[in-house]
Amino acid sequence: MRIEGQYTFDGPREVLWELLQDPKVLAACLPGTQSLRQVGEHEYEGEIGVRVGPISGAFAGQLTVTNEVPPVSSTLTVEGKGKVGFLKGVGNIDMTEQGPGKTLMKYTGEVQIGGKVASVGQRLFDSVSRGMIEQALGKLNEMLKARVASR
Amino acid sequence: MTKTLIGKRVLRNEDPRLLTGQAQFVDDVEIPGLLHAAFLRSDHAHARLLGMDVSAARQRPGVVAVFTAEDMGDDWQPGPPLVSPPPTAKDVLFYSRRQVPLVKDKVRHAGEAMAVVIAESRYIAEDAVEDIVVDLEPLETVVDLEKALQPGSPLVHDDLESNLAAHLSQKKGDYETARRQADLVLKRRIVIDRGAAAAMENRGIVADWDEKSQHLTVWDTTQAPIPIRNGLAARLGLSENQVRVIAPFIGGGFGPKMMMFYAEEMVIPWAAMKLKRPIKWIEDRRENFYATTQERGQIHDVEIALSRDGHILGLKDVFLHDTGAYDPYGLTIPLNTQCHAMGGYDIKNYSTDVSVVFTNKTLVTPVRGAGRPQGIYIIERLLDIASKELGIDAVEIRKRNLIPADAFPYKHGIIDQAFSPLILDSGNYWPVMQKALEMIGYEKFVRDEQPRLRKEGRHVGIAITPFIESTGVGPYEGARVTVEASGRIHVATGVGTQGQGHFTSFAQVVAQQLGVAVSDVRIVSGDTAEFHWGTGTFASRGAVVAGNAIHAAASIVRRKVLELASKELQTPQDELELEGGMVRVADIPDKSISLGELAARANPLRGAVEPGTEPGLEATSYFGPRYGATAFGTHAMILEIDPETMMIEIKRYVTVEDCGTVLNPLILEGQIHGGVSLGIGNAYYEKLHFDENGQLLNASFADYLIPSATEMPRIEVGHMETRSPLNELGTKGVGEAGTIPVPALFAQAVENALADRELEILETPLSPNRLYELWSQKEAR
Amino acid sequence: MRKLFDLALTVNGTRHEQAVEPRTLLSDFLRHDLGLTGTHVGCEHGVCGACTVLLDGEPVRSCLLFAVQAHGHSVTTVEGLGAIDQLHPVQEAFRQAHGVQCGFCTPGILTTVVAFLEGNPDPSEEEIREALSGNLCRCTGYQHIVDAVRLAAQTSKTAHEQPAR
Repeated sequence: MRIEGQYTFDGPREVLWELLQDPKVLAACLPGTQSLRQVGEHEYEGEIGVRVGPISGAFAGQLTVTNEVPPVSSTLTVEGKGKVGFLKGVGNIDMTEQGPGKTLMKYTGEVQIGGKVASVGQRLFDSVSRGMIEQALGKLNEMLKARVASR
Repeated sequence: MTKTLIGKRVLRNEDPRLLTGQAQFVDDVEIPGLLHAAFLRSDHAHARLLGMDVSAARQRPGVVAVFTAEDMGDDWQPGPPLVSPPPTAKDVLFYSRRQVPLVKDKVRHAGEAMAVVIAESRYIAEDAVEDIVVDLEPLETVVDLEKALQPGSPLVHDDLESNLAAHLSQKKGDYETARRQADLVLKRRIVIDRGAAAAMENRGIVADWDEKSQHLTVWDTTQAPIPIRNGLAARLGLSENQVRVIAPFIGGGFGPKMMMFYAEEMVIPWAAMKLKRPIKWIEDRRENFYATTQERGQIHDVEIALSRDGHILGLKDVFLHDTGAYDPYGLTIPLNTQCHAMGGYDIKNYSTDVSVVFTNKTLVTPVRGAGRPQGIYIIERLLDIASKELGIDAVEIRKRNLIPADAFPYKHGIIDQAFSPLILDSGNYWPVMQKALEMIGYEKFVRDEQPRLRKEGRHVGIAITPFIESTGVGPYEGARVTVEASGRIHVATGVGTQGQGHFTSFAQVVAQQLGVAVSDVRIVSGDTAEFHWGTGTFASRGAVVAGNAIHAAASIVRRKVLELASKELQTPQDELELEGGMVRVADIPDKSISLGELAARANPLRGAVEPGTEPGLEATSYFGPRYGATAFGTHAMILEIDPETMMIEIKRYVTVEDCGTVLNPLILEGQIHGGVSLGIGNAYYEKLHFDENGQLLNASFADYLIPSATEMPRIEVGHMETRSPLNELGTKGVGEAGTIPVPALFAQAVENALADRELEILETPLSPNRLYELWSQKEAR
Repeated sequence: MRKLFDLALTVNGTRHEQAVEPRTLLSDFLRHDLGLTGTHVGCEHGVCGACTVLLDGEPVRSCLLFAVQAHGHSVTTVEGLGAIDQLHPVQEAFRQAHGVQCGFCTPGILTTVVAFLEGNPDPSEEEIREALSGNLCRCTGYQHIVDAVRLAAQTSKTAHEQPAR
């Protein structure tokens, strides 16, 4: 299924891009993340706990970042599996300056899910994933504001 | 014999047990030392199994064993082929690939069983299933029927050249010539999708191997205990008499419980013998959606040739049939579709061609209707379209084509699912349709009410759909009837019972012959220790085939009763009556003897017997029809739709059923009501959504919507009786009749209700969403 | 070994005390610990209603309750409604109206109906269908079930009207 949206950040693009390179930042932002570590120049591994309706469980996954055009865009590829199913996704993020101290991020992606989380949770997956993304980007925005303020 | 019991609304013998929670279903079986099983199932629909690590699972406290395909060694065998392709058909191509006990090299559908955990409780077993680490390499999935047949498509079975599982062509007359003579030729593509049987009771099996007596007892939610017994004995290297299969009370069958040698049926008895401990496995609802068979997926490219006055000159159908990951059930469903696509119409030229396709989805085997609804959908949609194009009334065009009453037995010539030439044994079609028209007030509605409602801006439609149903197919069933010394009658037959009231309808047949109360006849069905010859309950054949075997056996017992009573009462047989459990001399009520007493005298403990005498008052008989009886019916419906929400309200629902002699009208009505509810589900609320990765997205009742009490209308049931010449009782089956015409009826009603948009519905199931899409795509007139 | 809970509850008028795992579902406790197999399990998602029992007189999904949640409470299952030789009037009505086919959904429907009729002794067909909408049945199409509920309400009304004579 398709996931797309946008978010306006309160900070410059370059700082946002910096934050996105830091696995500690990503781990802090994405709700449910239990661990996230960098294992290669563009590869990360981690565990995340997810709840979709009546189904909850942990996913072990890999994240790969490609097509980097700093500080504009990149492609994220995710693969995760766990007791409650599996997940595969590819997404693009695109950032443009919206005037001083504002960045507009647009994201689009395709996600495939399987297993229990698909057969019982599919109907809710759309809203759950949107909620998770909103929460993550909101947290990221807070961190962005803090970093900007500290400079 | 006084009043007749055949056709009486007798209350059911089995109800007190069912009503008080005293009836034993498979999950109610408790055995000391019982262990519980849970299966590890694949999340992926198509994947290579690279490895599995069960060590952590084996170490969990409370786990007794974990088995994989490797652990089964030489005992690992795919299931046996259940139905071969028809030996009598000419152009048949068939590649038999059957389901496996546990995945060995490749997963072919989501939910396929990969390993089994046996533990002290189901809770521990499920915990241990999560301990198993599986290494699966996902492969590209095959889900779309047409893409599956294209060169370069991933293969479900790597040893085949393509995903073609089977191909069969049949012909009657000469379609091409008929087409050339036609005034109108219509071509359409019709797409039909899957639905589940969704019986309230999920599947289950309990296997108990007694090492000391070397005997295996299996309780199984199966519609076919005898073939299961025979097959298990063969697989496990036992004599058939060492195996007893019991199908106790079953919470609904509807077809998938007739599928035999499911993975779990192969694994659990094997594991019980291996561990020498009794093991129980009960399916949960989510597993049921993945691992229990389903049906209906087909894509049809159809063509119909008609004369200007609406006569069907010929019909041509080329279709794809989705069999899922394996094809153990042969060509049964597509053959039914081929035989029903002509409906009850006099079609002299017919060409039908089916390609059966493997996909990475759950197996397809018959679900109530078993291919017949698809056939009826085709012909009825085409007639509706033709009626509009030719300007002939929808009822009139059908009337002109229905097989006339003097044309029976009507030979179609093509082969049916029982491998015999399709012959419609008897029927009186137009009067049945007429009765339905009268019951629903068709003429008046179309003339007066509908125009009035339309002026009010309401969208109300009416529809009528005639249909045939092939029933009562062979090969045979058997029964043994015994008068016991208590005077009660004991009857054993091989077919199982899943709610259709065999305990009562069969008792009526016997009570009729022997003059006893229906409640004094005890029926045992579905226990191979009681009766071990037969096939099972399917294809609307229980009452016809087993019923007639019971009738035959009871008739022989009646003869024996009269012979013996005649001797004992010293009265000629023709002066004797059987009533109230007694044999009486007519007009001398004091001169009588009870059946129980007679039974005792027929089984003396001392003295000599005449040569050639059989002990007791007992008989075993078998019945195999020459071919299946064809029933006929018509459904009619008035339906209102809200075009903003596409929610419907069924204002009236009428059915008229002609299934020959009716054994018990109460039970018959129940069967029709239930069949219609599944049909309404098939038509408007139920669809199994598989995504492009073979993932089933609605595997729960929260998302797979079966009709509840608020969706179901009141159904008015009318009867006609055209006896079948194929059996003594004159019966035809009716188990699937409620379901068969409903999707076609729905499409007609919806088009009629939304007539201002001139919809042409060529798919089923519909849904409010889908209907809204179709409606929005069409501009308002 | 998991920690057990000392459960004490009344089922069909009989007091039971047993140590159970906290995660044991009420449906499993009734069926397998107490051997009351009349309550059936159809989905374990709370949708089909086959597992419905009465908790202090109110219909609940026993598949969505832990046995420990019934601690100190009173549970009524189908076995507590009537016996084979003495059917509860609702059970008798189901028999008369052919409201049973395979019988799997039946116990859940009986408990639901018994509770429903207590609060609603003279329901319309629409109210009956609404009350039954949480119980799925695949065999009957609900018609004879609705007839049975009507008959039960009727019979009970007549029974209540008689004592005055």
